[in-house]
Amino acid sequence: MLKSTHQSANAPPPLAEGWTEHKAPTGHTYYYNAATKTSTYTRPVTAAEPTPPAAPLDPSHSFLLYQAVGNHIPSAGPGFNSFSPSNSNFKAVDEVGLVKEVVEEDMIEQEIHGHSLRTNRKRNTLFRIVLLGRFVYNTEKDQSFWRIPEKLKDGILKLDQLRIKEKAEALERVEHPVSTGEAPGAAERPSAAPEANKEAVEGDDSSEYEEVEVTDDEDDEDNPSKRQRTEEPAPDEPVEFDEDDIAFQLAAMGQEYGLERGEYDDGNMEEWDEGAEGMQLSDEDAAALFKDLLNDFGINPYSPWEKLVEEGKLVDDTRYVALTTMKARKEVWEEWTREKIKQLRELRANEEKRDPRLPYLAFLQKHASPKLYWPEFKRKYRKEAAMRDTAMADRDREKLYRDHISRLKLPHSTLKSDLLALLKAQPTAALNNATLASHLPSAILADIRYISLDATTRDPMIEAYISTLPPPPEAATAQEDEEAIKEKNDRERRQKALEDRERRVAEEKRKQKRNLEMGRGRLREEEAEIARAMNVTKKGLFGHLQEDDSTENSGS
Amino acid sequence: MPAIRHASKRKAPPAGFSDIEDDLLIFNNKMKDAENAPTTNVSRHQVHWPIFQISHQRSRYVYELYYEKEAISKELYDWLLKNGYADAMLIAKWKKTGYEKTKETNFNSTCICRVPKAQMKEDHAIECVSCGCRGCASSD
Repeated sequence: MLKSTHQSANAPPPLAEGWTEHKAPTGHTYYYNAATKTSTYTRPVTAAEPTPPAAPLDPSHSFLLYQAVGNHIPSAGPGFNSFSPSNSNFKAVDEVGLVKEVVEEDMIEQEIHGHSLRTNRKRNTLFRIVLLGRFVYNTEKDQSFWRIPEKLKDGILKLDQLRIKEKAEALERVEHPVSTGEAPGAAERPSAAPEANKEAVEGDDSSEYEEVEVTDDEDDEDNPSKRQRTEEPAPDEPVEFDEDDIAFQLAAMGQEYGLERGEYDDGNMEEWDEGAEGMQLSDEDAAALFKDLLNDFGINPYSPWEKLVEEGKLVDDTRYVALTTMKARKEVWEEWTREKIKQLRELRANEEKRDPRLPYLAFLQKHASPKLYWPEFKRKYRKEAAMRDTAMADRDREKLYRDHISRLKLPHSTLKSDLLALLKAQPTAALNNATLASHLPSAILADIRYISLDATTRDPMIEAYISTLPPPPEAATAQEDEEAIKEKNDRERRQKALEDRERRVAEEKRKQKRNLEMGRGRLREEEAEIARAMNVTKKGLFGHLQEDDSTENSGS
Repeated sequence: MPAIRHASKRKAPPAGFSDIEDDLLIFNNKMKDAENAPTTNVSRHQVHWPIFQISHQRSRYVYELYYEKEAISKELYDWLLKNGYADAMLIAKWKKTGYEKTKETNFNSTCICRVPKAQMKEDHAIECVSCGCRGCASSD
């Protein structure tokens, strides 16, 4: 992309006298002086002369250029906001000649510097993107290097020196202004002068290429005495672009992509809304982003903060930088852990209590074999979750294991009948024909008889048994049962009371009967006495006495 | 001879221990490493610094779980203290105002943690003799 725009339509400056141009077998152009019998790759130029000015910018072409430059370009500063091709700067011809020198080596120099973005309007062979540093671009090979190759160093040094000289000249002119309308830029020039001098000194001192690029406000761009436009640009001239165009392109692209105004520089920064710039995240959003990050990475909320920092898993994620300080991150993390732990606790509270034996028994059925003794089994599977569960004591585990192993040795028919007995022992409320085979009651699952049989034989058996069962009893019947039990208890109580009463009545009766008997006996005695008293004969009382004697004798 | 307490006869830790078990294990491993680290080139008073630091971190971890996040039950917290996962005396200090973060390992005098940052001398490099603390100014 870059390359296509570099086909210069401008004729190279004329050669110095005595020099001829040739092409080497490698494709390089070189110059030969027949008089001095010397040859050089660098183009010998006669003198500096103003070259034709740049063509006006076709936005579509500069857009292509911009694309080739890619994402190196930041938003242009406020200095580039106005798109005004008329006052853009030009480079002197001598500079162009030096540029040609460099181009001869198939290299194009590019400079990157500071915050501003600019290109050399002079020629499209050389263009400058002022960003961060400086790099070298090879138009033929389409390569660019940060490091300046050795063979180019001299050319670039010369170029720099020339540029500095040019600046100094320009300053001189500024100090002795020509009678042209320079009023707008005049105010800032005195301040620019010492700076430029300093640059010159620096440029001379340093053998390196850290050229301090002059930004536009320093460059006296509206100095017509220096940078004259000799021709009107031809329409078919190759496309060139400068910082204004790039700024324009940026704005156009930004609108095209539907970005917010703050994310590109649309030329009038003052009109931006508050917070239109892309990086301005609100605190809540940043915190929420960081929390999302924590959730996505499955961070354990119980772990300490230091562990999180040491592991450094989060650092690579872009959401990590949503919060700028470590302190803010820690605060958000603390908030997040609190919420998360609370959630976890609620979850666990809602979760029904599971019998810890269930996973262990399932594990036993899978792995237990009569070939392993308990210690061996325990040692072999000591890392399994079912073996490490703290809710179950180790001795319970051992007992279940031993029971299970001993049951495995029993004949198959016994195991079957045991399982049937287990199923029959379940109440209809727990096990009925509506029970799913996958959701058996835990009373069955937690029984050792359930796991004794292999699943392939056991499951059909259970399903067959379940299909023979009656439907689940209604909830009302259960209540009735309760009532019946209550009634039964009442009846029992009443019967007991009745029995008590009957017993008491019988006793009363017996007592009465006895009293009656006693009364009758007494009556009989009295009657007998009376009868005896009535029995008076001629003998008088003698008969009584005799009778008494006879009874006494018979009694003794 | 003391009674041998076999693992199988030991009582299980309270509920919730499984949540923090792994992190405590990391602290345990760190502590073991610190204990076994060679001390040939370390000056005599610095030998225990890493051990103090890890002990402090672990106590702080348990303290925050119980008092600040309320993530563990009282039962589990007591069990942790009883089993030496945290230093109860140090935690007792943190409950006092002005001692919120102290390492407080200068057993008879005031720890450097208690000196406010404003009062610390700039040019003076301070390191607590016991724990290597440079003055965290817990009261600030």
